[in-house]
Amino acid sequence: MNIADDNLIRLHDISKHYEMGSTLVRALDDISVEIQRGDWVSFIGSSGSGKSTFLNILGCLDRPTQGEYFLNGVYVEELGPNRLAEIRNREIGFIFQSFNLLPRATALGNVMQPLVYRRIGYRQRREMARQALDRVGLGDRVDHLPNQLSGGQRQRVAIARALVTEPSILLADEPTGNLDSQTSADIMQLFDQLHREGQTLILVTHEEDVAGLGDRVIELLDGKIIRDRRAGEPLH
Amino acid sequence: MFYVILESTRSALISILAHGLRSFLTTLGIVIGVASVIAVISLTQGMSAFIGESFSSLGSNSLTIQSYTPISEAMRGVRARLTPEDLELIERRAGGVASITPILYASRSSQVRYAAQTTFSQIMGTTYAYRDVAQAWVQSGRFIAESDNLTRRRVTVIGEKVRDDLGLPENPVNEYVELGGEWFKIIGLLEAKGDVMGFDQDDIVLVPYSTMRSLAGNQSQIDIQIQLSLSEQAEVDDVTRQLTALLRNAHDLEPDEDDDFRINTAEQLMETFDTIISMVTLVIGGIVSISLLVGGIGIMNIMLVSVTERTREIGICKAIGAKRLHILAQFLIEAMLLSLLGGLIGLALGYGLGTAISSSIDSFPPASIPLWAIALALGFSGFVGVLFGILPAAKAANLDPIDALRYE
Ligand SMILES: Nc1ncnc2c1ncn2[C@@H]1O[C@H](COP(=O)(O)OP(=O)(O)OP(=O)(O)O)[C@@H](O)[C@H]1O
Ligand SMILES: [Mg+2]
Repeated sequence: MNIADDNLIRLHDISKHYEMGSTLVRALDDISVEIQRGDWVSFIGSSGSGKSTFLNILGCLDRPTQGEYFLNGVYVEELGPNRLAEIRNREIGFIFQSFNLLPRATALGNVMQPLVYRRIGYRQRREMARQALDRVGLGDRVDHLPNQLSGGQRQRVAIARALVTEPSILLADEPTGNLDSQTSADIMQLFDQLHREGQTLILVTHEEDVAGLGDRVIELLDGKIIRDRRAGEPLH
Repeated sequence: MFYVILESTRSALISILAHGLRSFLTTLGIVIGVASVIAVISLTQGMSAFIGESFSSLGSNSLTIQSYTPISEAMRGVRARLTPEDLELIERRAGGVASITPILYASRSSQVRYAAQTTFSQIMGTTYAYRDVAQAWVQSGRFIAESDNLTRRRVTVIGEKVRDDLGLPENPVNEYVELGGEWFKIIGLLEAKGDVMGFDQDDIVLVPYSTMRSLAGNQSQIDIQIQLSLSEQAEVDDVTRQLTALLRNAHDLEPDEDDDFRINTAEQLMETFDTIISMVTLVIGGIVSISLLVGGIGIMNIMLVSVTERTREIGICKAIGAKRLHILAQFLIEAMLLSLLGGLIGLALGYGLGTAISSSIDSFPPASIPLWAIALALGFSGFVGVLFGILPAAKAANLDPIDALRYE
């Protein structure tokens, strides 16, 4: 079971199909990919190419129709819902395309929430959450509700929430999709810093310059990998 | 587990407070249910405590024997009677009796008149022994004496209420009242005793038994009551058995015939009242538990709506690591807290209601809630919360994370 290599993530022939009436939507079609610890990988592709679907499977939120997924050497497909919840809590930090903050909790409350599922006491939780918010530069907005924050600030709260558990992998779905260029640059700076601290990063984007910041760029089209290149390589 | 409960309670409280009005309306069914249970229980409990006190004032080791005619016999024109001979028989033969007295109720008018005032009262012919049997003490004057009976004196001992109704002076001794057309001299005034379940014990007029018999006219037809008190060592059951045997024999009853008399003890009477009260409590409790059930369904309904409303939130929590247990606990505890909160409000409301009712009705004893009723009300409302929270909580816990996240 244990794959003795550096591969944090190993996917083999992963497919995700949706049956819509009589037609079969192949959101993902036989994807095989390996990602190493410490890598910064960007997935790029047009809208509907299957990026979010792929990220959901990586994040153990969704299960593939077919294929094998090893995370940290663990064969994810055979785990029950409780083990998956544990993996989501310990191994994965997920930053959603639409932030997905808890609307009735403050910034601090949102960042504290994943720690609740780790049986960490209230005081320590609050301390850890404060540190995480400080790290993303939101130390002065801890008591704001999500709807009292700007888009960029919400994005930072989402990042802080993903970071607070010190996950093995950070997954980010269009982290700059809703932000202006200045805020985007700030956020990307933050990712760059995390990357240099050794954080494994998997980013989904459809902006070439955002993708170019990582080590590796994987291009998706209609659920298939059409290109896998080092960042900085020319497109054609 | 404790940690999960603590954290779920924390977030449940936040969520309940966030929707203050809605939470209150949700739990209103429980509030009303518990309030009515508590109001009813506090009233009946107050009443039975009061009855207990009243009956101990009657003398708990006294027996009353009355004639008893079953309806079927009465229709054939037969009337059972207790006669002076029965009294004599018991006086001679029964053991364990400390004192015994006959009581002869006025058969016709029980009108009492003093000057221009008239009132109706319970006129009873009895002997000096009544004082011991019924624990009736005079506050002024003297009680009926043996000699009053022997010489059929026209004297009377009256209760406080009668004195009051007739406008007699504070000390009515030596005044004259008219009973059934004859003049009687008041020789004593009884101490006030209050009432037992609407029977005013101060609304009585006592005259010597033999005086009453002479006034009663047709002597062969008289039907008396016998009251007796037991000596210290005597057992109520033994004496009752003995009296039953004596009277059955004297009345020539065949073994297959029913008793034509009834022997009542004060305790029996009290038990009867207690039974009635617990029946009432039970029936009302039944009705009220239906209202709690309806309250529970109200909670379930809103919790289901709330699960749907919070589907995305549930998805988010699952995405960041919530297990089924976490979600289940959160919704279950939220339902339970809602219901408990309703129970608490209901408790306060019910007690207030009980107190208001008992103090607004004059003769009503003060309300009291026993601890078990509080425990029961809270326990039951918590139980209702859990029972009706299970379905919504399970629905929430079983949501698939990705479906829940996609929910719009
Ligand atoms: N639950 C679903 N049921 C049916 N089809 C689905 C479902 N989820 C995704 N799809 C389909 O799968 C394909 C990939 O969707 P996905 O959300 O992964 O795209 P994406 O690359 O993230 O697009 P975008 O850049 O717009 O976010 C789309 O064609 C979509 O219609
Ligand atoms: Mg997407």
